[in-house]
Amino acid sequence: MLEVNNIDVYHGDIQALWNISLRVDEEELVSLIGANGAGKSTIVETISGLNTPASGKVVFNGVRLDKEPAHKVVAMGVCLIPEERGIFPGMSVMENLELGAFTPQSRRVRQETFEFVYKLFPVLQARKKQAAGTLSGGEQQMLAIGRALMGKPKLLMCDEPSLGLAPIVVKSIFEVIRQIKTSGVSLLLVEQNVRAALGLAKRAYIIENGRVAGHGDAGSLLDDERVKGAYLGTN
Amino acid sequence: MFGLVAQTLVNGINVGAMYGLIAVGLSLTFGVMKILNVAHGEFLMVGGYIAFWLFTLIGLDPFLCLPFVGVILFVLGALSYKLLFSGLAKFHEEAKVKNSLLVAFGLFLIFPQIARVLWTSDERAITPAYSGESFAILGIRVGYVPLAGLLVAVVIIFGLHLFLTKTYFGKSVRGTTENWKAAKLMGINVERTYLITFAVGAALAGIAGILVGMMQTVTPDMGMPWTLKALIVLVLAGIGSVGGAFFAGLILGIVEAVSAIFIGPYTMALGLVIFLLILMFRPQGLFGKE
Repeated sequence: MLEVNNIDVYHGDIQALWNISLRVDEEELVSLIGANGAGKSTIVETISGLNTPASGKVVFNGVRLDKEPAHKVVAMGVCLIPEERGIFPGMSVMENLELGAFTPQSRRVRQETFEFVYKLFPVLQARKKQAAGTLSGGEQQMLAIGRALMGKPKLLMCDEPSLGLAPIVVKSIFEVIRQIKTSGVSLLLVEQNVRAALGLAKRAYIIENGRVAGHGDAGSLLDDERVKGAYLGTN
Repeated sequence: MFGLVAQTLVNGINVGAMYGLIAVGLSLTFGVMKILNVAHGEFLMVGGYIAFWLFTLIGLDPFLCLPFVGVILFVLGALSYKLLFSGLAKFHEEAKVKNSLLVAFGLFLIFPQIARVLWTSDERAITPAYSGESFAILGIRVGYVPLAGLLVAVVIIFGLHLFLTKTYFGKSVRGTTENWKAAKLMGINVERTYLITFAVGAALAGIAGILVGMMQTVTPDMGMPWTLKALIVLVLAGIGSVGGAFFAGLILGIVEAVSAIFIGPYTMALGLVIFLLILMFRPQGLFGKE
């Protein structure tokens, strides 16, 4: 479904990604794990069109994405929930969700998607008139996820959805991600919480210093001595 | 004394409505794109001259000029953005602000020269037959033209407010203002939003130009003083609220008019004193957040 082939990405003069290749199949949940600053966010931002790769290509269902601007990538069904969530704090919860359904094809069916999102997150319905900036951290993350779902994505990329949230909230966020997966959406999950990320995913890629340092089945990575030592602290 | 103060208030509101109208355009472009268009007043000047032409050459009533000038300035604004400002969008915040200032200062140097060639340096005024007429309420004289100008300003600001809060495109403009990166991830074509916002700002300035041309005069060098007024109003109001910018314009107009009774020619300085006081003690403005 999504194929990233040998991309190099620069931030100005500094190279951030070296020869990254990965793929996500239909209805699959894939995790990107790795330390802070390893380049995980740069990868998902490049797929979503916020960065342009210097070489290599990104292909989604047979269509090249790497030359398209970000808003066209969204229209093709690839949505990113950015790190720090990127909600519109001064606008109401409902307006945030409405903007999630900005593309013509998602706008047409937004009434049904609203119901779906409100069912998934009843708290958003209860607070739909409230300014998004006044929500708690966990509610803001729910809003960010709900808003991305309003765009009817085929592939949803979540960048650090657990960042800065209380453990109990993290648990419910991961539960929602599991539900989204069963509803038929493919997911690319960026997580520093490696144990949780590997628990959810079928496959995972380890990113180190802007390179793919390894990949494989989530189960076997959990047993991998190197992963245990570097990320799970149980060597 | 009551008569004098009340009359001054009315005059202040009339001028303030113009301040508000021009400040709203500047506030919109600054809020959405984070570029300060110091050539904003030049669009007002061009709008005034186009209305002057339409009025003197084909005898079109200045109020009927409104849609024409609006459309022409919208196109002029869109062209200016496309040719001069759009290349700046890729820069980071600070470089963008600096470079856009340079570009806008360039426009501020060029536009008055072009105006001098096309319309000479003479003061021009748009003077329909009813321009000096007025009526009295409680002994206060209210001019038809300033009253109509005030109405036009209120209707336009109200319309703009509805556009930003009720339409999908208007909401996307507000989303872009708050977080352009997230806006892109919603599928919003941010570059197009910038283009249209800039063009709308120019159109608002042009419409203000017609009203100013009817109440005062149009000259090639009128742009910068109006940009400065708009800037004072912008600082007074704070970024982000259309109604706030308009209301702050009214406040400045009233303060200037009333203070003129007491301190005469120093009212210009008073505006700048307010500018400094607000920056020192309430940098987010009267109606701004945070």
